[in-house]
Parts: sequence; C-alpha cells; structure tokens
Amino acid sequence: MVDHKDTHEDILLAPIAHTGLGFYWTVAGLSVFILWGAIAYSVQFYYGLGVTGLQQPVSWGFYVTNFVFFIGISHAGTLISAILRLSRAEWRRPITRMAEVITAMVLFIGAGQILVDLGRPDRIFNVIRHGRYQSPLLWDATSISAYLSASLTYLYLPMIPDIAILRDRLGKWKLFYSVLALGWTGTQAQQRVLNRAIAIMCVIVIPVAISVHSVVSFVFSMTLQPMWHSTIFGPYFVVGAIFSGIAALIVAMIIFRKAYGLEPYLKPIHFRYLGQLLLVMALLWFYFTFAEYLTGYYGAEPEEMKVFWSKFSGPFWPYFWAMVLCNLFIPLSCLVRLGRHTVGKVLAASLSIIVGMWLERFIIVIPTLSNPRLPFPQTAYAPTWVELGEFAGSLALFALFYLLFTKVFPIISIWEIREGREEGVKEVEERIKSYLPDEVKGTA
Amino acid sequence: MENLHSPSDQLIRKLQWIWMIGFILLVLGIITWFIHLMRAALWLGDVPSAAIGIPLVAIPIFLALASVVFYVFWGLAVRGRGQ
Repeated sequence: MVDHKDTHEDILLAPIAHTGLGFYWTVAGLSVFILWGAIAYSVQFYYGLGVTGLQQPVSWGFYVTNFVFFIGISHAGTLISAILRLSRAEWRRPITRMAEVITAMVLFIGAGQILVDLGRPDRIFNVIRHGRYQSPLLWDATSISAYLSASLTYLYLPMIPDIAILRDRLGKWKLFYSVLALGWTGTQAQQRVLNRAIAIMCVIVIPVAISVHSVVSFVFSMTLQPMWHSTIFGPYFVVGAIFSGIAALIVAMIIFRKAYGLEPYLKPIHFRYLGQLLLVMALLWFYFTFAEYLTGYYGAEPEEMKVFWSKFSGPFWPYFWAMVLCNLFIPLSCLVRLGRHTVGKVLAASLSIIVGMWLERFIIVIPTLSNPRLPFPQTAYAPTWVELGEFAGSLALFALFYLLFTKVFPIISIWEIREGREEGVKEVEERIKSYLPDEVKGTA
Repeated sequence: MENLHSPSDQLIRKLQWIWMIGFILLVLGIITWFIHLMRAALWLGDVPSAAIGIPLVAIPIFLALASVVFYVFWGLAVRGRGQ
C-alpha cells in the first residue's frame, strides 16, 4: 500500500501543508528584484539594446555571461543526482530532489538570457524557421532543448510516489496530484516499472548533460577569437559547470535546511561529502585553468598575448585575480580541513565559488571581445542598470520558482528516505560483505 | 483505492491521457523541427555532415525520452491501475 504515518515525514510535508509569514516576506522581497528586472527589460524592449553597455566590438556582455553561468549551474543537479544514483551512494537520498529541481528551474532562466540578448524576442522564431546547423548556436539550441526535456522527465519520474503520498494525505489540490500520480499505489509491479525507468534516465541524462556544456563551449571555441579558440574548452566548461553547480546546490540545501527545519535529513555528513567533492572540483578547475593559460602564454601569439595580459595585468586584472581567489584560495582554505564548523565552511566556500565562477564566465567573454583585431579601438565594457536589473531579476525569478516548487512538492524525496531505512541498510551490508574476502573456517 | 467508475476518476484518467498525448505531440513537434532543419540544410547544400549528424544524435534522445515516459504511464496508470 501507499504509506504509513511517519511523524518524521511531517517535517517534509509541512511546507506544503502550511504557509508561514516567512514565505510571504520572501516572495515580497524576490518580487522587488523581479520587478526591477521586468522594468529593465521593458525599457530595453522599448528603446532597444542601446540602453545596455553592449556596443561594437563587445556585442556579447552580461547576458551571454549569465547564460553560460546559469546553464553551468544546471549541471550539478542532474550530474550529482544521476551519478550518485548510479553509484548507489546512499548519502544521496535527501539531496537528489534538490539537485534535480535546480537543474529544471535554472535551465529556463539560462535559456531566457538568450531571449533577452536578442533584443527583439520574435527573432527566436528565425532559429525555428531558418536555423542552420553550420552554427554552434543551433547546436546549443538543440542540446539545451534535449537537456531541458531530459531534466524535466528525470525530475518528474522519481517524484511520482511522493505525489501519491500528497494525493492521499494532504487534502488539497487532490485532482492535480491524482493526475500526476498516475495511479501509483506502490505495488511491486509499479515499483519495478519506476525503478527501471529511473535507471534508464540516469544513463541518458549524463551524456546529455555533458554534451550541453561542451556545446556551450563550442560557441566560443569554434570561433577563431584569441583565447577562445581552444581545444580544451569543452572539458573546461564541463568541469566549471559541475563546480558551480555543486556550490549552488550546497547553498540551496543550507537555505532550505534552515527555513524548513530539515536538520534531521541534511546532516553535517552530507555537507562534508559535498565539500570533499567541491575540493576535488576546485583542484580540477585550477588544473584546467592553468593548462589553458599556460598553453596560450607559451605559444606567445601576439593577438593571444594582448588578451592574456589584459586579464593578468591589464584592465581586467581585478576580475581575473578575484576569480582565482574565489575559485581556488578561499575554497581550499575552507575545505581542506572540515573537522569543525563543517556547514559554515562549506557555505563560505560555495558562495565564494558561485561568485568566482560568474567572474570566470565574465573573464572568458569580455576581454577577448574588448581587444578586437579589426580596426576598432580597444573598448571598455560596463554594464548599465538595465543589465544589472535583468541579472538581479533572473536570480530572483530562479529563487522564486524554486520556492514555489517547495510549496507544491516535497523538496526531499520521502519514498527514497523510506527505501533507505527499509532496504538501503541491508543492501549496504550485503555490498560490504561482497567486497571483503570470505571467512576461512578453522579446522577442529 | 480509487473507484474506477467515479466521475472524478474518469476525469483523472482523461487528464492523464491528455497530458501524455500532449507530451508525445511536443516530442514529435521537436523531431519535426529537426527534420525541417535537416531538409533545409540538404536543399541549401549547407554543411550536410552536421545537418544530418546532429539530428541523428538528437532525435533518438527525444524518442528515448518519449518511450520512457510512455512506458511509465502505461505501467502505472493503465496496467498498474488494472492490477
């Protein structure tokens, strides 16, 4: 049958069953930023892209930086959830839903940046009517639409048993939950179907996720622009995406842990493991960054060196060195020893990484365009209030989508926690026994 | 357990079929778009390798997604309900 009463689960259902004053204050606060973004966009829509800092030769600025940043954040969701499920890491159980929701929500925001960058949003129909596969931009459109579809499917399928719990226990929105629950009653046959489907989705979603950020990198690396035309950009972007995604997931976990009283589910051990993952990704990120810049420096091509020095010691040096500080030194100092104050250290590292990875996108996009090889003067790009408003509005919209999700569906998977208690413990014991050598029976 | 003959249950089943068909139509629409782009590229002689290669990878992904969702729908909402 579907469920039995468990007072622990009341914590997970409480945000859906009850709405406190904190929710309304949070929505009000986010709405202010969303309103700023909406006003900014309507000004841009009315007056054109001239109200932004975009100009020749810097025709890609804040919007493309934000696009790459948001698409990057989407990676943790699917990759953390899918990889931890496939590797049967039991500690994943309270984390996977949060990660999957990040992916689904932030993809809309990321794709929306391109709509804003177009100026005239109706031009998006040209992609549908007259798209050309010669352009990496169309590869991008293809891979992101595939990833969005896969992520939404991968988010929905594991939610079905929890939706059935809501259908049976909540007493509101019964029609909505009944439709989405697909008649789930928890029989063995249904469980087999769902487990098989989730396993297939885990396998599908990983290569799709990797292809997305590889293709996003191809938008830059397939050009002949100095410091863009690099063979390493594909894996570099993927590593950076996972890096920023894990950081964003940790921040979301800490916020909702505090807001919804989820300390019994999101324990310091979870943050310790994610912190260790973050440490590995920080070192991997540094390796790729070092390899990228060393190759350019050693080749010493004049056009590459102009962009190189503009980042290291030129007009972009504050952003470049802030990026290194935020992505390497601060995370390393926080994450190397996680003995005490685990959650605080992991939070500090994650916030630093989110800022650092945004700076990394900025450092990739702007300096190259600011040093043109055509007879344009070197240009300083500065975002206007319109671009800042759009960015703030986008962040607030993502936060609002996430918050609204938590008011409709449980943010931690109830059935997976139950499965962990009932079957996971035995399964782990069996698995450990299978790793160890067989006991040798002594002779009498 | 839901009453198979209650009006609300009939409404639930209708809505489930509607969203399932809607999802299939969405996937078919995306595949149609890929085929349209492929045909346009071949007609223009515009990088036929990419024009064929990319949809050849993307279309099976969407078909796989549609198949998985339909498999779950059939297994839970149709066969599962009967059991």
